[in-house]
Amino acid sequence: MNAALRKLFRKGSPGKAEIDAFIAGAEFPLVDGSEVTFVYRGAADAVYLRCWISGFDAAQPFQLLNGTELWVSTIELPAGSRIEYKFEIEAGGNRHLIVDPLNDVLAHDPFGANSVCQGSGYERPVWTLHDPEARSGSIDSFNVESAAFRESRETNVYLPARFRRKRRYPLLVVHDGHDYVRYADLKIVLDNLIHYLEIPQLIVALTQSPDRLKEYAGDERHASFIAHDLLPQLAEKYPLLDDVSARGIVGASFGGVAALHAAWRHPELFRRLLLQSGSFAFSDLGRHRRTAVFDPVARFMNAFREDAGELAGKIYMSCGVYESLIYENRSLVPRLQTQGIDVRFEEVRDAHNWENWRDRLRSGLSWLFPGPLWMVYE
Amino acid sequence: MPQRILLGPQRPITNLGAAIVDAALPDGPLAVISAGWQEAESDIDDIKAVVQRPLVDLRIYQRAEEVFTASPELLVAYRARQDKLKALQRLYRLRLRRLLNAARQMLRARGEASVIEAEQRHAIAQLRALDRHHMRRVGSVHEEFDAVFDVATHALLARHNAEISALLDGSETVLLTGGNVAVLINRLRLFGLGALLAGKNLVAWSAGVMAMSERIVLFHDNPPQGRRNPELFGPGLALIRGQVLFPNARTRLRTSDRVRMQLLCRRFAPAVCVTLDSGSVLRFVDDGLAATDSVRRISDDGRLRKVKAR
Repeated sequence: MNAALRKLFRKGSPGKAEIDAFIAGAEFPLVDGSEVTFVYRGAADAVYLRCWISGFDAAQPFQLLNGTELWVSTIELPAGSRIEYKFEIEAGGNRHLIVDPLNDVLAHDPFGANSVCQGSGYERPVWTLHDPEARSGSIDSFNVESAAFRESRETNVYLPARFRRKRRYPLLVVHDGHDYVRYADLKIVLDNLIHYLEIPQLIVALTQSPDRLKEYAGDERHASFIAHDLLPQLAEKYPLLDDVSARGIVGASFGGVAALHAAWRHPELFRRLLLQSGSFAFSDLGRHRRTAVFDPVARFMNAFREDAGELAGKIYMSCGVYESLIYENRSLVPRLQTQGIDVRFEEVRDAHNWENWRDRLRSGLSWLFPGPLWMVYE
Repeated sequence: MPQRILLGPQRPITNLGAAIVDAALPDGPLAVISAGWQEAESDIDDIKAVVQRPLVDLRIYQRAEEVFTASPELLVAYRARQDKLKALQRLYRLRLRRLLNAARQMLRARGEASVIEAEQRHAIAQLRALDRHHMRRVGSVHEEFDAVFDVATHALLARHNAEISALLDGSETVLLTGGNVAVLINRLRLFGLGALLAGKNLVAWSAGVMAMSERIVLFHDNPPQGRRNPELFGPGLALIRGQVLFPNARTRLRTSDRVRMQLLCRRFAPAVCVTLDSGSVLRFVDDGLAATDSVRRISDDGRLRKVKAR
């Protein structure tokens, strides 16, 4: 049992006031080295910990502590880990998921919010937090007329602080761009890294798909949209450097597949890729081991593994070791290196979520687009 | 007598206006050199708002662009010079890394002083010899270029030099802003600004102060990728002597690493390594230090010590 809980129970079952004081004075979950104890207080028939991380799929049962309504569950979590979780409460024959009522740290994603457990040694990088000294960029919006999708697509565009029409800028195309801004604080990160001179001033196209599982899964229309619709219209509207090494493409999960696919189809356009937890399903023989939604992904990845075409340049990849996709991501690295691509691959103790992707943006972006900090002294 | 006022970065603390008032600089318009910001060099409204005086934009980045367009032979020679300088810098960096590592190891070595100190001195002497060699090599590349493309001999450069000189006639004080120090010093040299600025009051910050010094040292101990060592870039305008200037040191230097700091101090001695953070002021009158605020020098024990006016 966790030391703080042991102390609480040293004279037998604590009363309500003692538990109130204990809860008011502690931070939850209780982290003691690599041991993490989750605590739920309330009436229930059973409580489970749900983490959705690879190697830890099953619901972990909580134990009810004697004479109280305190439920606890302890897991081993290596130093520096960060995981997202919920509690599953079973009461009166019903089960429902809730965020941890004792933990204010939440991570948001398009499906809602999860509680966040920060293992010992994990600290949110300061460059992901708003820095009042960093000048703020702006978000512009325009409609891309898409021949590929036969419709107009609203695209947001990040313009750096002190944007000047007479300058020319590198371009980054970000899949799920609105989500990156909303859940991975991309705008704050860009403002900060530009302010610290760690990356150059960039223009960033924040694209969003209405049907990402289809369009991002190696869909030729999507590659065409990026190459023939988005890029020319961006170049018409914004002052962009006309240089392949000044153009990057970014994506996480299925967005990573879309980024790789677009660069594979148009290697003349992209030689800087940032791929986070890419859903790179493949099979060496027979069918891949994932759901049907991955069928087109596996077709693309198998074709890519067979012939990576003219893809070249630099690729930054990252993946959490608590993701099942770590296998596919690790497998892709030597294939890219065989192609002569300069690959940097980072594995982290995190899972498939936006904060993992947020925390890697500095190393990825500053490696792909080194800033002028060596020469510029403000 | 001209004053030299050296400031730290103008964010978050903007002390440009106060520094001008405190120095009682003569009234009248101020000339501005902001070439370090390249295409954005004429965005000087924020400076105007701070100093509350008319500004004369010398536009030397834009002038250089005009010269490059009008004189293809100058552009070709300029690019060839830059390629040569970049190649030299790469080779220098290779040797520098090894010598710096060796010197740091010597400074960290423990044992009998009579044994270690001589090795430390020798390691630092080797480093200083490499720095001297690099400065000579860079200097000779510049001389080679200047022999053909100089304000005294090249008509176009001479014309711009004369125009700048005329603009400067109406300003007793010149401001040099931050920005890209390489771009700044290259443009200053191209138009022979060293001689034109010598008799002026100068107020500079960040890249501007580096360009005014005798030797420009590039540095950043905490880059997001890999590690780099402080390296000599080349000569500055030498309008400030005896100082090696480190703007924004709080962010850019690992000042708590005594060995790194000690090495900086001993490597560049007898010049004094001076840190200029936001809010710092260092004011020289007739080469004498007249006033100072929040300025530190790196001492030979690796500590930062307050600089006081004599």
